[in-house]
Amino acid sequence: MSPQKIVVVGAGMVGHRFVDELVRADRTGRYAVELIGAESYEPYNRILLSEVVAGRADLKALSLPLPDSERVTFRRGCAAVGLDLAERRVLLDDGSASSFDRLVLATGATAFVPPIEGLESGPRHVHVLRTLDDCRNIAARAMNAKHAVVLGGGVLGLEAACGLRRRGVPVTVIDLDEHLMATQLDGPPARMLAGRLRDLGIDVITRSSISEVISAYDEIVAVRLADGRLLAADLMLVSCGVRAEAGLAAAAGLAVERGIVVDADLTTADPQVHAIGDCAQAPAGMTGLLAPGWAQAERLVELLVRGVGADVDLPTASAEPVRLKAAGVDLVTMGVRPSAARDDDRLVTLTDSGGRRHVDLVIREDALVGVTCLGAPEISAALSVAYDRRTPLPLDPLTMLVPEARTEESTSPVRMPGSTTVCRCSSVTKKEIVTAWEQGARSADAVAATTRASTGCGGCRDVVCGLVDWLNASDPGVDPGADPDAGPPSRSTPVTQRNTTVESTT
Amino acid sequence: MTPAGTDTHCPYCALQCAMTLTPSEEGVGVAARSFPTNKGGLCQKGWTSAEVLTLTDRITTPLLRGTSGELEPVSWAQAVAFVADRVRTLQAEHGRDAIGVFGGGGLTNEKAYQLGKFTRTVLRSRHIDYNGRFCMSSAAAAGNRAFGIDRGLPFPLADLSEAEAVLLLGSNVADTMPPLVQHLAGVRERGGLLVVDPRRSATAALAEDGAGIHLQPLPGTDQALLLGLLHLVVAEGLADEEYLAARVTGWDDVRRSVALWWPTRVASITGVPEEVLRRTVQVLAAASPTRGGGGAMVLTGRGAEQHTDGTDTVTAAINLALALGLPGSRASGYGCLTGQGNGQGGREHGQKADQLPGYRSIEDPAARAHVARVWGVEEATIPGKGVPAVQLLDKLGGEVRALFVHGANLLVSAPDATAVRRRVESLDLLVVCDFVPSETALLADVVLPVTQWAEEEGTMTSLEGRILRRRKAIDPPGKARSELEILADLAGLLGSEVHFDTEPALVFDELARASAGGVADYSGLSHARLDAETGPLHWPVPAGSGGTPRLFRDRFGHADGRARMVPVSPGGPADDLRPDAPLYLVTGRVLAQYQSGAQTRRVAALDRSAPGPFVELHPNLAARYGIDDGDDVRVTSARGAAVARARITTAIRPDTVFMPFHWSGAGMANAVTNDATDPVSGMPEFKVCAVEIARAAQPSEILEEVLA
Repeated sequence: MSPQKIVVVGAGMVGHRFVDELVRADRTGRYAVELIGAESYEPYNRILLSEVVAGRADLKALSLPLPDSERVTFRRGCAAVGLDLAERRVLLDDGSASSFDRLVLATGATAFVPPIEGLESGPRHVHVLRTLDDCRNIAARAMNAKHAVVLGGGVLGLEAACGLRRRGVPVTVIDLDEHLMATQLDGPPARMLAGRLRDLGIDVITRSSISEVISAYDEIVAVRLADGRLLAADLMLVSCGVRAEAGLAAAAGLAVERGIVVDADLTTADPQVHAIGDCAQAPAGMTGLLAPGWAQAERLVELLVRGVGADVDLPTASAEPVRLKAAGVDLVTMGVRPSAARDDDRLVTLTDSGGRRHVDLVIREDALVGVTCLGAPEISAALSVAYDRRTPLPLDPLTMLVPEARTEESTSPVRMPGSTTVCRCSSVTKKEIVTAWEQGARSADAVAATTRASTGCGGCRDVVCGLVDWLNASDPGVDPGADPDAGPPSRSTPVTQRNTTVESTT
Repeated sequence: MTPAGTDTHCPYCALQCAMTLTPSEEGVGVAARSFPTNKGGLCQKGWTSAEVLTLTDRITTPLLRGTSGELEPVSWAQAVAFVADRVRTLQAEHGRDAIGVFGGGGLTNEKAYQLGKFTRTVLRSRHIDYNGRFCMSSAAAAGNRAFGIDRGLPFPLADLSEAEAVLLLGSNVADTMPPLVQHLAGVRERGGLLVVDPRRSATAALAEDGAGIHLQPLPGTDQALLLGLLHLVVAEGLADEEYLAARVTGWDDVRRSVALWWPTRVASITGVPEEVLRRTVQVLAAASPTRGGGGAMVLTGRGAEQHTDGTDTVTAAINLALALGLPGSRASGYGCLTGQGNGQGGREHGQKADQLPGYRSIEDPAARAHVARVWGVEEATIPGKGVPAVQLLDKLGGEVRALFVHGANLLVSAPDATAVRRRVESLDLLVVCDFVPSETALLADVVLPVTQWAEEEGTMTSLEGRILRRRKAIDPPGKARSELEILADLAGLLGSEVHFDTEPALVFDELARASAGGVADYSGLSHARLDAETGPLHWPVPAGSGGTPRLFRDRFGHADGRARMVPVSPGGPADDLRPDAPLYLVTGRVLAQYQSGAQTRRVAALDRSAPGPFVELHPNLAARYGIDDGDDVRVTSARGAAVARARITTAIRPDTVFMPFHWSGAGMANAVTNDATDPVSGMPEFKVCAVEIARAAQPSEILEEVLA
């Protein structure tokens, strides 16, 4: 039986993942795969474009594995310009066509650019951040830019703003909403975030927008805000969200609303045509983020290879954690935010205005269902794990907000309890060392010979010396071993005791 | 006249600390001896090792399970005749493969070699494997794949002292090999000790106070962590492209494979903050010789290796080391910290299901022909490859009707040990060679008392691939005999014409010939040379060679001389968290006990230091479950339960509990662990499984339940 031909339109992160998973799962060679990508680059990790803008990631770090050349025909730099569903063909921009038995649309989304006066002429140095080319252009301009404006205070806009700032460019972020990242954040953390950004040298203007882009000689020189203010700007980034790229599907007569309409099995009204990722509108909604798109890719592979249909809706963006990848700002949001909490949810909030920290926890029936964590990287990773893995929470949720306080052991030979293990390697306590001293071991070497203390890793040598010094210095007439916990020191020798931590605390 | 001391090495772990034994009327005196690995240090196990020689329950006579159902003393002639007779009958009924052999990583090279030879030439069964499968197999598989050679450390341990950064994954050396910590002094002074462990172990604590960094990931996420570190190496332009171009294949594929492991993603999977990931990479890279550093090492232990994706996790560690240009560079490279005393030699000379002496493949016709000539048998009579340890144990009572156990206590040390006990009980014949009545020995049909460490001559190969002499200080007690003699006797009784030497030096000479031309070539060595030379002899030591302290200076072990990088991706725990098992169990060791504890539990001083099993858990977790310090805690997995005392400490993640695995009975950690294995190495997933915990109200009831 000759293999069925699957054509995948779109070599972005979801299309790439689908092809990778399909080839891995399809061990019998049931499918022949053709992957069509409009960009001329090898597949890359789009998520990291803002890291490149920030100068924190080499372009090499973005290259994804190439599709298995024995199993996949990869046509890159080749755009699909039409679908001929009747003839089962994808029409390409080089005039050729690819025929398919099954079609997977993974055309993704394009940046939404609102209608703004002065933009229609296409002034230079106004960009969106969606492709590697966008990224290169922004990074190149950042070398000379004197002032950048970022329109849109969402995740990508803020990542780019921080990235530009890290490159030394003064930046202003302009957002239409009440506050930054309105999709993910409530007011209090958003205001704290704005404070943090201002500390970094990023101006934040909310409840505003750009009414006009002013250019000279085809280059942007300033923007006019809705309130009439003028801002000098020689680099502008538009980050106002995305729109599903559904043009091909619509033109071919497939149902398109906010995206290409598919059922829970990622299938359009045409049973041989599927859509996944940002271009698809599944019953649960739009994906919007990478993880739900990947889940769709995996689901479709399962359907095509194992014939298993969907029984539940896949997750959508709203349930997914959002982690800002921004130099200088650590922000994670997951699940329910306080304003969306139920009455019987337990809300825990920590606000530290001076430290620009804000943490909200939403706890429902002993489970962590919502986290907002700004400015506390030392706990945000742990909260992510607790949220993702549903591990048991402490009775007092406050303890999750305080990085572990170390119990300081007494390192003074005077105050160290007699039962303290001084030498772990040979399991020797302070009391045993005192006893050895009483029995005549008056040097660290003599103590080692009798007790074996310090004869393993040697890490407690300083402590043993300190103990012996203390004992030798104490009044020879008094028996210092009588009560090791309350010995009468004539002087106290502080010693380092890196190696003698008692592991158990109650 | 005081008798001269006998220079030998400690009976326990792979560090093989040097010691001098001086027998006297009061017993055998142990003195630490200066040596490059232990630098004159010994831990409590080493200092008390001589007590194992005179245990009151030492087995000193052959035992046979009589009609009463009890083990009863018999003569050697009776014991071996019984074994030979049963073996003949069972093989006649069920075929040659009906007899299995389970070896140990504590046996000398001579014993390990002879055991493999006996299995292949006398029993002619394909079913041999050993408990080293539970130790180094993942690192071995990954090392072979990447370098074409698997030697635990490809450089002398003392090189650690010169390194500026050491990334230590899943190894608690401060407890398992305390004297090794001396070699970390320099690294700690330079702030370069990078310890990856879900617990703030004694070793992780060594990284505090500016000595380095402790990365405390969620169990089972080591590989994601490593991929994240490699991503950062690429993103920050820290890869040694010149080295990669000259010495490595596969870099392009591996570089691409880490594109999806960006820092915020890895932080959320592992629980290790992004900033910590970035600092770790900076410290490692700055210490790399090509960036002007003094040396950087990546070392793995069981914590990273004992997973169903353990081989791939070690591969990720090796990829990181290769990307930074470390293997073969000054005071740098990748290494595995071998666990058992002769874990290294044990896998080189024929105890592994797929290997012949000299680290040769049993499926390689040339290797088979060479070894067949040394053994004086027809090549065709050497069986094909068997199966790894866990699969071998699965076959007990099925395809495998009888089992010989040498130097292993698998009823305590195997994963899902309660199920293993049931299968062992279903055997037609269990023969155990041991010197203490271990849990496994007590279940045997025949127990054969053997010599131990200070009572025998032989060689051991330490964690750095250095061949060391084990020397006899005293005569064995009672009727105890060396396995070398037992195997020779059995070979004769089973009608074999294959020659079996009983003198260790002669067996070594034969081993040397068998290994000639193999990866682990010992052909330039003999007991006499090892005794005469004071310098270090690391394999390969072909005839005329002075040994190879450092591998990979100029070339790797593959035919083209290049190292192979292989892209990997995490498999995740086979037994993962779920609502009725929301916590991870990790297992490990404590300082004063060794392996299944068969020896160390019997030493009074060690028993005082570490008197029994415990469950380590975080105070937050303890409060949630209403558990106080010292309460009995029941830890339950899909396989079984264990009950042990709570030890409450902030040194462990609040989503993880820890149990040491040295004890049997109610507190046996391996009643809970998972026997799912790595598809490449056969390594079981000791280091992570999903559990639920509860305060155990009635310890006695639970004990009954567990043992039922």
